[in-house]
Amino acid sequence: MSTLTLNINGKDYQVNVSNPSMPLLWVIRDLVGLTGTKYGCGIEVCGACTVLIDGQREHSCVFDASSAVGKKVVTIEGLSPDRSHPAQQAWIARQVPQCGFCQSGMLMSVAGAMNAGHHGSEIMSEVHNLCVCGTYQRIKEAAQSL
Amino acid sequence: MKTPIEINSNCAVAEAEAGSQNKQKPMSRRGFLVSAAGGLSLAFALPEVSKIAELQASTAVPGVVNTWLKIGTDESVTLTVGASEMGQGSLSALAQILAEELMVDYAKVLTVQAHPSLASPAPVGVSINTVGSSVTRTNFWKMRDAGAAAREMLVSAAMNANGDTTRANYTVSKGVVRHSSGTSWTYGSLADAASALPVPAGAPLVPDAQFQIIGKTQTRFDIPSKTDGSAVYGMDIRLPGMVYAIIKHGPTFGSTVATLPAAPSGMQVVPTRVVAGVGRGTEVTGAINAVAVVGSNTWDTWQAAKSLRVSWNTPASAANLNDAQFLADGKALLTGGTPFAAGAANGPGTVFTVEGSASAAATAMGASAKTIDAEYFLPYVAHATMEVLNCTVSYVPGVSCTIWAPTQSGKGVLSLAMQITGMAESQITVHTTYLGGGLGRKAEQDFVSQAIQVAMAVGKPVKLMWPRDEDFTRDQYRPLAVVHAKAGIDSSGNITGWTYRNVSPSILGQRGLSLPATGDSQGSEGSQNLPYNIGARLTEWVWHPSQIPVGFWRSVGASINTFCVENLIDELAAAANQDPYQFRRAKLTDPRWIAVLDAAANLGGWSTPPSAGRFRGIAIGTAFNSIVAQVVEISNVTSTGLRVNKVSLAIDCYLPVNPGQIEAQMQGGIVHGLNAALYGQQTFSGGTAKARNFNQSRMIRPNEMPQISVSIIPGPASASRTANLGGAGELGVPTFAPALANAFFKATGKRQRSLPFFPGSTMGGL
Repeated sequence: MSTLTLNINGKDYQVNVSNPSMPLLWVIRDLVGLTGTKYGCGIEVCGACTVLIDGQREHSCVFDASSAVGKKVVTIEGLSPDRSHPAQQAWIARQVPQCGFCQSGMLMSVAGAMNAGHHGSEIMSEVHNLCVCGTYQRIKEAAQSL
Repeated sequence: MKTPIEINSNCAVAEAEAGSQNKQKPMSRRGFLVSAAGGLSLAFALPEVSKIAELQASTAVPGVVNTWLKIGTDESVTLTVGASEMGQGSLSALAQILAEELMVDYAKVLTVQAHPSLASPAPVGVSINTVGSSVTRTNFWKMRDAGAAAREMLVSAAMNANGDTTRANYTVSKGVVRHSSGTSWTYGSLADAASALPVPAGAPLVPDAQFQIIGKTQTRFDIPSKTDGSAVYGMDIRLPGMVYAIIKHGPTFGSTVATLPAAPSGMQVVPTRVVAGVGRGTEVTGAINAVAVVGSNTWDTWQAAKSLRVSWNTPASAANLNDAQFLADGKALLTGGTPFAAGAANGPGTVFTVEGSASAAATAMGASAKTIDAEYFLPYVAHATMEVLNCTVSYVPGVSCTIWAPTQSGKGVLSLAMQITGMAESQITVHTTYLGGGLGRKAEQDFVSQAIQVAMAVGKPVKLMWPRDEDFTRDQYRPLAVVHAKAGIDSSGNITGWTYRNVSPSILGQRGLSLPATGDSQGSEGSQNLPYNIGARLTEWVWHPSQIPVGFWRSVGASINTFCVENLIDELAAAANQDPYQFRRAKLTDPRWIAVLDAAANLGGWSTPPSAGRFRGIAIGTAFNSIVAQVVEISNVTSTGLRVNKVSLAIDCYLPVNPGQIEAQMQGGIVHGLNAALYGQQTFSGGTAKARNFNQSRMIRPNEMPQISVSIIPGPASASRTANLGGAGELGVPTFAPALANAFFKATGKRQRSLPFFPGSTMGGL
């Protein structure tokens, strides 16, 4: 058992893990208790688990929790305090989500692409997350305004 | 006649829970579940309510009531709905319909999730199965009647307060009743008095021409919470002291535990049995077909489950569960089979006559100038919802069993829990969470039954999860189908005769239902009552013996049969040297069908040739009372892939309640149909499914999305008073694959008669 200190959404959390290679996804969901970040495939194919680490998109399902120590982790809950991030606003305005399960990861990927300096249609050249509901058309329309 | 509205005493329960909830800050004003420090409690995110007058929406059909309505003295309007929200948006649509008749702002209606009940006659608020694209279409008139009755009761209360008996002196707008003198009363001020009044029968409805909410695009109440992580899915339930269970099935279908292994350090291993009514195919009631490893978090438990060495008994029959055998069995039944006989067992291998007669079809076919004879094959396809199967249960022996499930069948969960625990209904509470996709899979109860068993065994609240590989390999798949179709045309291009035999496993048969002479409705939908003038016909469905579990899958049979029927129609058009659109149009008689076909053709630019390198196909079909046609435009066809550039879809679902959501469902349905048509298949060897994760079962990503245009053909509400509206949730799926195949023929000259187009396609990492 080892104790890790993780900074998530601007707050420090101390978590006890049996193995420091426990993926960040499960630390965030089960130990910290933030459930907005989703498990989809566990093999970084679908992107439902996407979070930002020091501003960059990462797939938390394969990211060792210990590697996030000393870095700033942002999950969907920390994207904005009040759904005011432009991507969240665009998603609501365009009524993007259907079941919504992939959308946390989708929005974090979009936010990461925006952090990297991409705008409008460039964003969706960068984002390849899977949405089984097939909301891609509205996603593209929403991202167009960003 | 509709049943009168009654006061519902069950509402007291909801009110008590709402009271306890009010201490917490709701994450979403209309959220279903709100997380609390140290766990999660279910509550309705109601505003502060001091006293609530309750009006119960009811229905003409006992047993299918699933909604109820409360109007608060604080002006709140609360609609409790038993159906599930899995992205289809129909709960919002119900609020929309209600708001129109109640004459309140749509945004005023708070929609909350009901707990299912088994009481008979069913009290309002019980859950129905959320399947068959049914929620909006089957509740449309119930919502309207309930809203209108409640509105008239409130007006009557105002009239009583005024000592007046002339209804014509009163108008209603935005929850306020006004007398012609200018005096007004809010609904909240009238709610108590109204609750004491009799419920009027046949309250006048808002005429179509005066609709302000129905038929207009409205925003969905659940969407904001799906952009900030606050929407609570089954996977997100957290309870104090909760442990985590990871399911591990045997290596093949039909395998059972021989010896239970020792539990990993600090964990438990719980055997789970096949529960009566839940097992499919090779699964025998009572057999231990899986174990659950139980630990303190998902990851450690999952790792332990992976390395757990369980000794399994594998039946010899598993060796026959393979693709070659399924195909051989299907092909054999294209000609053989035992005719259905009243009183006989009519099991696998039985030939059921869906419609028509063999002799008439054969005679008609004899008069053909040309005949087309084709065999089609469709594979098993997994659901692969984004959220894997999971369920959370808190069980207190002799006291209570509380279940949180992402389920399309809350009522089924309740029955199952009573069966397994032996508890009374009053001791069991079922919370339907948001579903991270349903697609039919979450109407099943296998995962729920396991979670209940594990909770009973470990004495702590348990969240049980199927890792993605279990979700893929232990699905209840869309049935495979082997189809033989033959049709003839005369020298003028008229269809002379038609024979169609679909050999596929039986969804209803695997659920123990006795099949009628016409066979499994899930296998024949989309192959009968064809809209075309096709002359004499014989349509048959034959029960394929495969024991792979099959289940409901977004549009199921319609997705299978529409592929074959519309593929064959296209082939007949080519044989007749006619344009595929005009060939179809000439054989349609119903103006609704013609209008839908025309609308799709116009939207898809059929009258002008596509640009160089682009090819178009068209198809039309029906499911769940709606008609849909699509024009699919493709390019870049190679031996390993193709590009779908454009899809133009037209739908007639009678009155479109929320056009924006119908458009969304068409877009999503097209993608579902596209994924299945191009890549979707689950294959088997020795009783084991091969595709285990998304990397082995390709689906399109955002950059592969075609541009979709949707045309909604509105119809009058009155046309659906007896027929109900048409569905939307599944309607984008069935016509996509044949339209694609018909475009593929234009591009290549080859008929694609088997799916998927590109078997074995895999998907790389992000």
